[in-house]
Amino acid sequence: MRNERSRRLARSAAARRAVLAVVVCCACTLALSAAAGARREHERGSAAAPPAAAPPAAPVAGEQEASSPSPGEYPPATPATPAQPAPGDPRGGGGAGEASGARHAKHGARTQHDRGAAQPSEQEGAQAGAPEQPQAGGTSEEAGDAQEQASPQLAADKSGRGKHKEGSGGKHEGEKKGKGKGKGKTGETESSTGAGSGETPSGTAPKEGAAAEEPALPQVSTSLAPQLPASGPVASAASAPTPAPAAAAPAAGGLLGLGTAVSRRHAGRARSHAATRARADAPAHADPATAQARRVPSRPAASARHAPRSGARRRSAPERTSPIVRTITRIVDVVPLAVRMMIAGLFALALALALRSRVAAVRARRLDRQRAELLEDVGLLQAALLPNVPARLGPVGTSVAYQPAAGPGAGGDFYDVFALEDGQLAVIVGDVSGHGRHALPHTALVRFTLRAYLEAGLSPRDALQTAGAVLERQLGDAFATVVLATYQPRERVLVYACAGHPAPIVLGAQPGARPLPALTICTAPPIGVGMRTGTRQTAVSIPGRAQVCFHTDGVTEARVGSELFGGARLADVLAELGPDASAATLLERVAERADARPDDMAACVLAIEGEDDAPSVLVEELELDREDASSVRTERFLRACGVGREEVPEIVHSALLAAGRARTVVLEVRRGEGPAEVALRREHLSYLHAPRENVEATR
Amino acid sequence: MLRRKDKTAQATASETPFAISRRDHDARASVISVEGELDVSTAPALKWALLDSAQDGHGQLVVDLSLASFMDSTALGVLIGVQRSLGAGGGIAIVCTAPAILSVFEVSGMDGAFAIHATLEDALATISTPAAETG
Repeated sequence: MRNERSRRLARSAAARRAVLAVVVCCACTLALSAAAGARREHERGSAAAPPAAAPPAAPVAGEQEASSPSPGEYPPATPATPAQPAPGDPRGGGGAGEASGARHAKHGARTQHDRGAAQPSEQEGAQAGAPEQPQAGGTSEEAGDAQEQASPQLAADKSGRGKHKEGSGGKHEGEKKGKGKGKGKTGETESSTGAGSGETPSGTAPKEGAAAEEPALPQVSTSLAPQLPASGPVASAASAPTPAPAAAAPAAGGLLGLGTAVSRRHAGRARSHAATRARADAPAHADPATAQARRVPSRPAASARHAPRSGARRRSAPERTSPIVRTITRIVDVVPLAVRMMIAGLFALALALALRSRVAAVRARRLDRQRAELLEDVGLLQAALLPNVPARLGPVGTSVAYQPAAGPGAGGDFYDVFALEDGQLAVIVGDVSGHGRHALPHTALVRFTLRAYLEAGLSPRDALQTAGAVLERQLGDAFATVVLATYQPRERVLVYACAGHPAPIVLGAQPGARPLPALTICTAPPIGVGMRTGTRQTAVSIPGRAQVCFHTDGVTEARVGSELFGGARLADVLAELGPDASAATLLERVAERADARPDDMAACVLAIEGEDDAPSVLVEELELDREDASSVRTERFLRACGVGREEVPEIVHSALLAAGRARTVVLEVRRGEGPAEVALRREHLSYLHAPRENVEATR
Repeated sequence: MLRRKDKTAQATASETPFAISRRDHDARASVISVEGELDVSTAPALKWALLDSAQDGHGQLVVDLSLASFMDSTALGVLIGVQRSLGAGGGIAIVCTAPAILSVFEVSGMDGAFAIHATLEDALATISTPAAETG
């Protein structure tokens, strides 16, 4: 059982390890593929030729701007809390710009797609552009101009900022805004840029950017080049908390938007080369735009002023997503489909294994619980076979002990000690053939059957004979050896009957006392071997202090070298331990002295108190049928009982006659100080073997 | 400590190696000779030797324990079990003179269940007699 459990545990542990390995594999694959994707992007980025795309962009932007509506409806510039940096207003002014931005973004996206950063840009561009187009105001032209003007500078910007790749995120925003050019945009741009290209070197131009926002308008329209210087004053204006005049605001917003947008584009796109055309126009503004982005924190009021619009809100949502999420999204985009599927497969596998491990763990817990319950049950069953015995029954000290074999022979032994109604004490010690749990049912059957007959008042021999006849059919191929005994404290008489079992050792307390010799001739056969049993019984008088040791053959068949431990050694151990000997210490001592214990050992020790009078055999009983009576064994039995040689033939003859009439006869040999007296008794349990009608008649 | 004991047991076992040999006396009887110790560890070998003979149609089995140095109740249990499986038509005769082994039969009350002979000739004679009658 333990083996199974440990195997199970090992298996679940292995499963857990496998899951861990798979997860690690997945993580590694992800990381590797992400790295590969990044490398690829990097390579492409450096390889792509940005200038080629630049020219076409300008016209597109222009067209879009033209078509887009005028940006008249700027929300009144109201001071807003710094907390709302998301400035949706851009639409008013920069609708056209946004639209074009969207387109650019798309282009860029398409071209950049593989690089991973493209998708976000697309989305953003679309969001920014699509909804805002209708709102886009008249600034479109301005935007167009700005872009056109900006185009020449593009190259410069690129060269200046080209190093900053991080711009990918920023680019999109830049694009959107670039087109949107709304003042509100600035706010957005800022925020977005902050996220995307904030780290960019744009830091050089923060002030310019700020300046660009409001004052940019004139600058943009005129020329991009002057912007930088002009921005200085503007910046101061922007930083001022007071809202710009409504009228000025829109225009400025548009221009600014353009500027910022362009700048962004430069920061991000320009470098990535994807955005080819549109970018070209706005490069000049790039610097200011980024600058604005940087500035944002310092001048929240300006951005806040522009009430957020739906578009802005929409835009702001993705922008606010945490860098982690964005990074993951980018990584996922980079991973090739095959790898993605592989990873998915691995994850599925990991999940399956984890599930399996979990199920196994649950099952293991359940099995553990069941095992505990089973062990409890086994404990109960064992207690039924090997009950706890009170340390004292009346005047007799009692003790029992059981030691399972170390070898393959465990199971089958049983004992019981209990008081009978008339003050007698009853002992059952037995051993059922077979071992382990297969012997348990038979063990229980035999023990309780015997106990029942003893409690019903039968003598040990009668109980054994009755039980033997009853159990014969129920034991199947099994058989049992057993010794039953009763002790009558008043008369101090011990009566025992054995069925193929070693007789108890009766040891007096006198110094140098030897155990009472047990007569083994004509021992009754075990229960269940197809032979009549319960044919022998011995009554022993125990007038003084004595120990009576019942045991199973596992004790006497323990090995000492090549010999059996034997009854003599057991008696020695019993004598050594003295009157306080308990069954447990007895078995321990036997185990110490034996070299091998192939079978279970069970023992029951009765400690009878009294004086120094030695125990003696009172009566030996032998039940005979005709066949037994004529056998040599009967003669040997009589001789061993002390019957004179000359008397034996006569006794046997009488027994034969008696057995012929009544099927069986009981030879009762009374032993005393004088010669043995033999009596023939016909009282027996013949009804056990009689046909059924006779049984009924008897009743 | 247990290991030491086991070693001792093995050592004693190796001193008197266990061996079982089977010789078919005639179509109905076979002789199984046991050498060494019959205990928990060797009793199964005796069981299979006896059952093999019985399956081969030998209903009369003579177990020669003349060279056996030791027998415990496990081996006795094997003999009882096989004797029962042979049924009415068969039986087991024992050839044994060692007091230690005879006492095992006596103490267990099974000395009446098996025909115990002092010599193999006696055992074969008692077997062949009923065989001649029936034959």
